[in-house]
Amino acid sequence: MPVINKLNILTKSIWVFHFAAAACNNCDIEILDVLTPRFDAERFGIKLIGSIKHADAMLVSGIVTRKTAHMLKDIYAMAPQPLAVVAFGSCASSQGMFKDSCMRTVPVDEIIPVNAYIPGCPPRPEAIIDGVVKVIKKLRGEI
Amino acid sequence: MEDKKREMLSEAKSAAGGKDKIKKLLGEKIVNWQEKNPKRHYIEIKKEHLRDSAAVLFTELGLRFNIATALDNIKNMEVLYHFSDDTTGVIFSLRVATDRDGGEIPTISDIITGAKWIEREIHELFGITFTGNDNLQRLLLDPAWPEGVYPLRKDYEYGRKEELSEEDEESLRRPNIKIDDEDGDKQCTIIPIGPYHPLQEEPEFFELKVRGEKVVSLNINLGYNHRSIEKISEGKHWDQVTFLVERICGICSCSHPFAYVLAVEDLAGIEIPERAKYIRCVIAELERIHSHLLWLGLAGHFLGYNTVWMWAWKYRETVLDLCEQISGNRNHYAMMKAGGVRRDILNSEIDDMKANLKTIVSKIDMFKGAVLDDPVIHARTKNVGILTKEDAIRYCVTGPTARASGIRQDIRKIDIANSAYGLVDWDMIVLENGDVFDKAVCRVLEMYESVKIINQCFDRLKELNEGNICTEIWDLPAGEGIGRYEAPRGECWHYVKSDGGNTPIRHKIRAPSYMNILSNEVAAVGGIVSDAAITLAAVDPCYCCTERMQAVENGKIKYDWESLIKMSQEKTMKLKAEQK
Ligand code: SF4
Repeated sequence: MPVINKLNILTKSIWVFHFAAAACNNCDIEILDVLTPRFDAERFGIKLIGSIKHADAMLVSGIVTRKTAHMLKDIYAMAPQPLAVVAFGSCASSQGMFKDSCMRTVPVDEIIPVNAYIPGCPPRPEAIIDGVVKVIKKLRGEI
Repeated sequence: MEDKKREMLSEAKSAAGGKDKIKKLLGEKIVNWQEKNPKRHYIEIKKEHLRDSAAVLFTELGLRFNIATALDNIKNMEVLYHFSDDTTGVIFSLRVATDRDGGEIPTISDIITGAKWIEREIHELFGITFTGNDNLQRLLLDPAWPEGVYPLRKDYEYGRKEELSEEDEESLRRPNIKIDDEDGDKQCTIIPIGPYHPLQEEPEFFELKVRGEKVVSLNINLGYNHRSIEKISEGKHWDQVTFLVERICGICSCSHPFAYVLAVEDLAGIEIPERAKYIRCVIAELERIHSHLLWLGLAGHFLGYNTVWMWAWKYRETVLDLCEQISGNRNHYAMMKAGGVRRDILNSEIDDMKANLKTIVSKIDMFKGAVLDDPVIHARTKNVGILTKEDAIRYCVTGPTARASGIRQDIRKIDIANSAYGLVDWDMIVLENGDVFDKAVCRVLEMYESVKIINQCFDRLKELNEGNICTEIWDLPAGEGIGRYEAPRGECWHYVKSDGGNTPIRHKIRAPSYMNILSNEVAAVGGIVSDAAITLAAVDPCYCCTERMQAVENGKIKYDWESLIKMSQEKTMKLKAEQK
C-alpha cells in the first residue's frame, strides 16, 4: 500500500496565512498582487485568510528578527496540522543581504520546518504561481 | 527661462535672509558656522544652548524639524539636529557634543513633539541620555536586549549578534510599554491591534485605550521590522549601499536610493548629466503613481470596499510594466547610482511608453469619479481622523499627510539639485481639512501631476542623445552630505558621513512614516473604534464582484460585466440622491 501523504489533502483550494517577519514590504505586496485581477490566484481557490486556524499554508516573508522569532514559533504551534510552510523571497530563504544585521536571528528553516522555498527579491508573480504549483505537485507526490 | 532665473535669484536672496536672521538671533551662542554650500549649514553650539536655539529655529522662525542624527566620534558623541526651511530648501543643522560615556543632552521633545521618538531611539542605540525627557523607554530594541550594549556605537562590531535565550524569548511576549491603566479609570478598556492582525500587512502594534466607543489614547509599539540597516550600511561599499537602501521599503524602492545618492552627491559636490536627471524623475514619478494606486487600493480594502482594491491594483500593473520596461524589474529598480543612473531609456521606446501612460490617465479619471464621488466613501472618510494644521506642524509630518492639512511643503519644489523637477512644469497639491478624505484626494490629484512630469521628461529625453547618463565618481572626500527626496509618503531623508574611505562611517536614514505615524496619536484619538458596521452595512455596492463575475442563467449570460457596472452606478446615484 502506498504511504499516504497527509499533506495530500491540502492540494485543493489552499487557504494561505501570510506571516511578514521583517520584510521590506515588497514580498508582501507581490503576495497580494498575485490575488488581484491580472494574476488572479483566487481562481484556484487560493485565498488569504486572517487566522492561522483556518490556514492550509503559511507564507513567511522577510528575515526573522528578535522581536518576531517567538511569534513565528507561536503561530506555527497554533496552526492545525498538516500545514505547508513556504519561505517566501530571498530574505526568508537565506536572510539575503540582512545576514549581517545585529537584529536577525536564524533562517526560517531553523525555526520551523519549511516545505518549499520561493527565491527572488521579490519573487515575480509568475515565480510565485510556479512555486505554488510545485508545492501542490510535491504534496501529491508527483515530484 | 527668465522667470526661472529670477525665481532662483530671489530664492538665493531669501536663503541668505534666513541665514542672517539666524546668525543675529543666535548671536553669541554660535561656536562655529560651517557653510558647506548655500543649502547646507552646520552650526556648532554648546549643549546648554540647545533648547534656546531649537526654540528659536522651530518656534520663532517656523523651520521644520527633520530629525536628529547621533554620531559616535570615539573621542566624544555628537548629535546633529536638522531643521529645514521649507520655503527655500536650506537645511540648518545644530551640532552639539557630549561625553562618550554617560553623555547627557537636554531634551527638546517638549518644544518639538516630533522629536519624541528620535530621542528614545538615540538613547537606546547610542546610550546618550536626554535630560528632561521622562519617556526614554526602548523604541526599536526588544526588552531582552542586554543593558549597556549600544549597537550603533563604533565598538559594536559589524555582524555581531546578541544571544537570545529561551526565557528571554518568553519575556518578549509583552510589548515594551503599556498604557498605564492605573489611573483609576475603570471604564476604559485596552484594545490591542497587532502585532499580527488580519488588516495589517506588516507587524506593528497599536494599543487603543477606549471608553465605550471612543478612543481615548493610543500607544504605538515599533521595532518588529527593525533590521538595523544603518549599521549594515557601515559595512558596505558606497555603491553597494544603493542596493541596500532600496530594500528598506519595497514601495519606496526608488525614493530611498534617490535620497541616498543625492546625499553622496552633496558630499562630493558634483552635478550629474542632464539626461540622468530626467531619467531619475521618470522612474521616481512612476513609483509615485504605483504607490498612490496601491494606497488607494488598500484604503478601500480597509474600509471593506474590496472593489477599489482590485481595481486600483489591476491598473497599477500597467505602471509596473513600464517600470519593468525601463529597469528590468517590477520593483526594486536599481536605477539610482551616485553620479547618475545605471540604465538609459531608449529614445525609440519612448512613444510607446507615452501611449501606455495615457491609458493610466483615463483610469485615474475613473477613480476620481467613482471613488471620490461615492457617498459611502464620503461617509467613511470625511471628518474622520483629522490632523489639524497646528498638530501637523507640531508633529513635523511630511508628504500628503502634511499637504492635506494645509501645509505647503514639497521637497520637489525646494531641494531640486540633481533632479529634473526644476526643469519641468507641475503644481503642488495642497488641501485644507486634514481628514482621510483630503488625504485621498491629495493622492489622486498628485497622480495627474506625476503623469504631467513624466510626459515632459519623456519629451526632453527625446531631444537629448542617448548614452550620457553618469558622471563617474572616483574618490569621495571626507565630509558630510544630506540628501532628501519627496517620496510618495513624504520627505525621505539620508545623511552620510565619510572619512575618505570605502564605506560610509555613518549613515542616518529617516523614512517619512517615522514622522507621520506618530501623528496618529492625535488623529485617531477622539474617533470611534469601529464605525464600520454603521456606515457601511447599509449598502456595500461591491464593484469587486462586479468586475470579476458574470451571472449566468440557463447557459446564457444574464448580466455581463458592463451591465453590472451600470447597475452599480445606478445604485450609487440612487444613494447619492437619498443622501441629499
Ligand atoms: S526578499 Fe527582497 S523583496 Fe522580499 S522582503 Fe526581502 S528584500 Fe524585500
